[in-house]
Amino acid sequence: MNTFEALLLALLVLMVAVGGRQGVSNFLAVMINFLLMMLAVILMAGGFNPIGVAAVLGLVVLATTIFLSTRDSDVAQTAFVAALLVMLGMLLVIGIGVRYAHVAGFGTEDSEALEGYNLLIGVSFPHILIATALFSTLGAIAEAAVAVAAGMKTLGAAAAPAGLTQMAAEIIGTALNTLFFGFFGGFAGLFLWFTQLRYPFWQVLNNQIFARELIEVLFSMIAVTLTVPFTMWIVQRRQGGRS
Amino acid sequence: MMKSYAKTILAKPWRWLLPVLSFFVVLGLTRLDAPLYHQPIVQVTAVHTGKAQKQVDNFDNHDVTHRQQVQAKFLNTARRGQVITLSNTYSGSGALDTPLRRGDQVFVERQAGRYQLKDEKRDGAVLGLLAATVWLMALVMKKRVWLTFGSILANAGLLLVTLHVETTSNQKLAYALFSLMAVLFTVVTTVFIAGIKRQAAVIAVATLGATALSLALGYGLFAATGYRDLHIEAVEYVTQVPQLLFFVQIMIGSLGAVLDESNDIAVAVMQLPAGFKRRFQAGMAIGRNVMGPLIAVLFMIFMADTFTESILWLRNDNAISQTFIWVMGLGFAQALISAFGIVLAVPLTSLLAAWPKKVQA
Repeated sequence: MNTFEALLLALLVLMVAVGGRQGVSNFLAVMINFLLMMLAVILMAGGFNPIGVAAVLGLVVLATTIFLSTRDSDVAQTAFVAALLVMLGMLLVIGIGVRYAHVAGFGTEDSEALEGYNLLIGVSFPHILIATALFSTLGAIAEAAVAVAAGMKTLGAAAAPAGLTQMAAEIIGTALNTLFFGFFGGFAGLFLWFTQLRYPFWQVLNNQIFARELIEVLFSMIAVTLTVPFTMWIVQRRQGGRS
Repeated sequence: MMKSYAKTILAKPWRWLLPVLSFFVVLGLTRLDAPLYHQPIVQVTAVHTGKAQKQVDNFDNHDVTHRQQVQAKFLNTARRGQVITLSNTYSGSGALDTPLRRGDQVFVERQAGRYQLKDEKRDGAVLGLLAATVWLMALVMKKRVWLTFGSILANAGLLLVTLHVETTSNQKLAYALFSLMAVLFTVVTTVFIAGIKRQAAVIAVATLGATALSLALGYGLFAATGYRDLHIEAVEYVTQVPQLLFFVQIMIGSLGAVLDESNDIAVAVMQLPAGFKRRFQAGMAIGRNVMGPLIAVLFMIFMADTFTESILWLRNDNAISQTFIWVMGLGFAQALISAFGIVLAVPLTSLLAAWPKKVQA
């Protein structure tokens, strides 16, 4: 057994212990998302347009994440509709951001890793970046949509308007921790590099890799912030339609 | 009452243009900030792009390159206002290069008596998006946005201090130092989220407990399988021992997500009326609903981060299995270990939050 298989097995055991049947479907969601990501890489490397691949597979990622992780179909449906609309909006935001940022491809700090590789690969790196950025916001969109939909259902009629506003702020505020620490966590090495080689502030701010990572986090923050009021609005519309 | 929330959100729709506006205003302002830099910056005034040169490599990748002759004007330093000519080569795929357009601002560098293109100026897009994000969050979160930014700034400050201490001191203590940083991150963030009260203690204890357990489990499994196919030496941007970098990455990476989840559970549970069993079950139910999507958040971030390099590997004729092990493997392991923490935090937080020590009215 290699390390990855052992980790997957342990995750399955933990998920079943904590979540029971739902744990099994959560695990299934992780596996499907994993296969979708591999498929996305293979398709993009195979010459399909990365943005198209991201849009189509992104939809499947959202569906998998939301429907397999939420047993309550009411919550899942609301969350899925909201997430899908936000994803389409994010495609626009990411497109504009990438157009102005010049952060696609690799930076000077990557040069060691690139030795011996032919870089003229005929696939557009700006398009790959758009796909990457879109994929990395999807989890955050799904999470926020489910949190809002589930939260509103749990609070139910007992929720005061102030409670809802507070919930919105708390869900966004804490989702930011996930993103912010995920960012620090993914690039601890880069930050140590900057510190050790004493990069001045202006150089960090204009650094290709730092700018790209920060922009990706900001995309996710924007996505979460849009998702919360949007999901509340959809919950309200669905309830309005029923009564 | 839900309607009233939607109404406050949807009132005055023009406010939603403010984030977009702030993006372009900041983008415009940073075009004027060249005098703040010591490094020479030029603005492209004219571009002549040559014909496309076809490029085919030995893996049969088809690409094109273009050569550009660029006229540019200095925006700062003593040469401000002077015009120079630069040359720029860019490719269709753009791995390390980008086409220059009129109006672009770039850093230049003097080499062997001639100025050459060094790097793009990126502060406009970065700060513009930052401004847009802040505006958008302020619109949705109202006053609480200050707390959130206070928390992020405090943590960023903490990170800076830790990095400086770490790089200037004995690196044998690095593991302890970064672990201490993780504890401080957690304490600072929970206090910002929840204030100094029992809820904060519940969140902090559950977060640290779940993170420590997940790291122990992860490293236990690494050791048990002899790190088979896990190449920690493939960590990027190595200036120190790769093992240390990987440890810091997985510890910090999962911390936020676990904290996020503990908070979601604790907030909801502590709003419920007393009754340990009911509160515990409510916590578990919320946790089960949240844990899947939350795992997906980190999973997508850590996996998507490897796309660019993976595609490069595949186009250079590497097998998919090799690409997975060497490029995506560490991100995958990181995603799975953070998933451990996210799952373990569900019972831990539910238990602590439902504990009927102090019954809330």
